[in-house]
Amino acid sequence: MRKLILVSAALALAPAVHAGAMTDAGAIVERANLAAYYSGADGRSDVRMVITDGQGRQQRRQFTVLRRDVEDLADQQFLVVFSQPSDVRGTVFLVYKHVDRDDDRWLYLPGLDLVKRISAGDKRTSFVGAHYFYEDVSGRSHTEDAHELLETTETRYVLRHTPLDPASVEFGSYVTWIDRATFLPMKIEYTNPAGDVYRRVEVLEVQDIGGIPTVTTSRVSDLLTGGKTDMQFRFIKYDVGLEEQVFTERSLRTPPREWLKRPTE
Amino acid sequence: MKFWLLILLLPGVVLARDDPWDDDAWDDDWGEDEAAFVWSGFLEAGLGSRFSADDRIDNRNTLEDLRARVETEWAPDDYSLTLKADVGYDGIEDEWFGDFRDLSLKFRLGDNTDVSFGRQVHTWGTGDLVFLNDLFPKDFVSFFAGRDDEYLKAPANTLRITRYSSAVNVDFVWTPIFEPDVYLTGERFSFWSPLAGEIVAPDPPLRAVDPDEKLGNGEYAVRLFRTIKGSEYAIYGYRGFTKQPGALTDDLWPTFARLTAAGASVRRPLGPGLVNSEFSYHDADDDQWRFLAGYEWEAKTNFSVGLQYYLESGPDEDRHVLTNRLTYRAGMDKYTWSLFTFWSPDDADYYLRPQFTYRHSDRWSMTAGGNLFGGNDDYTFFGQLQDGSNAYLRVRFNY
Repeated sequence: MRKLILVSAALALAPAVHAGAMTDAGAIVERANLAAYYSGADGRSDVRMVITDGQGRQQRRQFTVLRRDVEDLADQQFLVVFSQPSDVRGTVFLVYKHVDRDDDRWLYLPGLDLVKRISAGDKRTSFVGAHYFYEDVSGRSHTEDAHELLETTETRYVLRHTPLDPASVEFGSYVTWIDRATFLPMKIEYTNPAGDVYRRVEVLEVQDIGGIPTVTTSRVSDLLTGGKTDMQFRFIKYDVGLEEQVFTERSLRTPPREWLKRPTE
Repeated sequence: MKFWLLILLLPGVVLARDDPWDDDAWDDDWGEDEAAFVWSGFLEAGLGSRFSADDRIDNRNTLEDLRARVETEWAPDDYSLTLKADVGYDGIEDEWFGDFRDLSLKFRLGDNTDVSFGRQVHTWGTGDLVFLNDLFPKDFVSFFAGRDDEYLKAPANTLRITRYSSAVNVDFVWTPIFEPDVYLTGERFSFWSPLAGEIVAPDPPLRAVDPDEKLGNGEYAVRLFRTIKGSEYAIYGYRGFTKQPGALTDDLWPTFARLTAAGASVRRPLGPGLVNSEFSYHDADDDQWRFLAGYEWEAKTNFSVGLQYYLESGPDEDRHVLTNRLTYRAGMDKYTWSLFTFWSPDDADYYLRPQFTYRHSDRWSMTAGGNLFGGNDDYTFFGQLQDGSNAYLRVRFNY
């Protein structure tokens, strides 16, 4: 009897082992980062967000994102062109994401014809007034956290991530549920240093875009205020052949219409 | 009086309009069909008033604006036509106004050249509210009166050609008919008159003598620029006239002196922030060197600080100016507090611009702020505006 209890306890503690499952947490995180942020060599998508605050008041954002990977799991270039609401229409963001130094960011304000350079800032602050952070949109470097595989289920890897520099972030740790087939993180829950879950990012819909499983609807919820932001992606296309020249000051002043056009097929 | 009647009409106009964004959170309408016109813009009411009366000017208010903005773009294929027009009523000048902020045709010439032709706004250079090589027209009257920052840049009728290449990009702007700054005339703000030796508000307002409208009197501005590994380098040139009427005609009317200018700038990341430096040499009646060094960084989450040192060095005197911009955003960017400060230690004058913006929704926003001028002497740049210190409130409805 005593032996049986010990065996049960050992089984409960050990991560369940499934056929073909990965066991290296770092390797799983790299695959997840590739699946979530580096699909194809480049890509374009229309994006819209509905931001709902704790009182139920809504705001909208709509923009087109062009992305080009300089190298997988490394530097990337983004061009974000806003079309809604009207007070940000024509505003354009240009971001050079770097893994070994601060990102380069520029903002074009059409009313002043001003190309404004933005200094590196806290990446865990609101992205254009939404509950999403800059870091949710462009990806958090896997080198900033320690990763631990908590559990492997039929369909998910469950990992806990603990920041190496706790002072640089507002969370104590976060847990991700990563789809074993697609490696897309399907749910992320952030725990504050006191141990309470206060923020959740979840995927609501995944579609196959040219053979690449792609998140097309997601939601971030602020569990303290009751606010949330829903984000939808449409007119997605990968490997469209975006060249480096698309990601320059020229595109800030004159957004590249041939790439902003929605793909017809 | 007319102004207040119009203010009372505004909510009615706004409330009569259905909110197309009030539909279900998700429908399948992803907005515009690419071929169609999209109309957008805003309605805005603004009111600004002096802290104390200026004896030289009848109206104590500095801002009585009712304004409607209409914007659209028509982009059939290889070219696009942009329209941004303002119409409204200005209670200070007691008149209706209409202006194109932008009415321009843009197209590509080959693969690497962009052409933009028409009425438009141009900005270049690295200064924050300090201009060395940006000699495009500025509307300081709007800026001091509390209009949106956008109105600091005045439109002009120009031809802009930009050629991009991997070696260096070349930007060229031709303004066939000289377009000066919107300068102080005595209508909204009084100003220092060196001739009179005192602060004046002439009636009729000051009207400087423009250069003759002929081909040789146009303005030519050029910029060569390139970004290398995150560092932005630029070289500038300008041929035209001083943008403020600092010279005198033979019969002692204010006018604009011939100006040739050249300069350069660099902007790059340094430490946690961005550093910029720019200089310019202005060859006019009085030659002048301008030098700028600035640093901007996010000191705390959502709180950024920008510091600038600016020098104007002429044959007779130097003017040193220190500026400071503090910006704090809160409530997921719904609230923005900012303070911009100009201070010149040698001229002992200053200009403070506190501002608070509340973005209530995608429709409604509100801005309150002040323009506070001061100085020991009436003849200094900001000292002359002491009696113009004001506070303002603007309410905007975006559509």
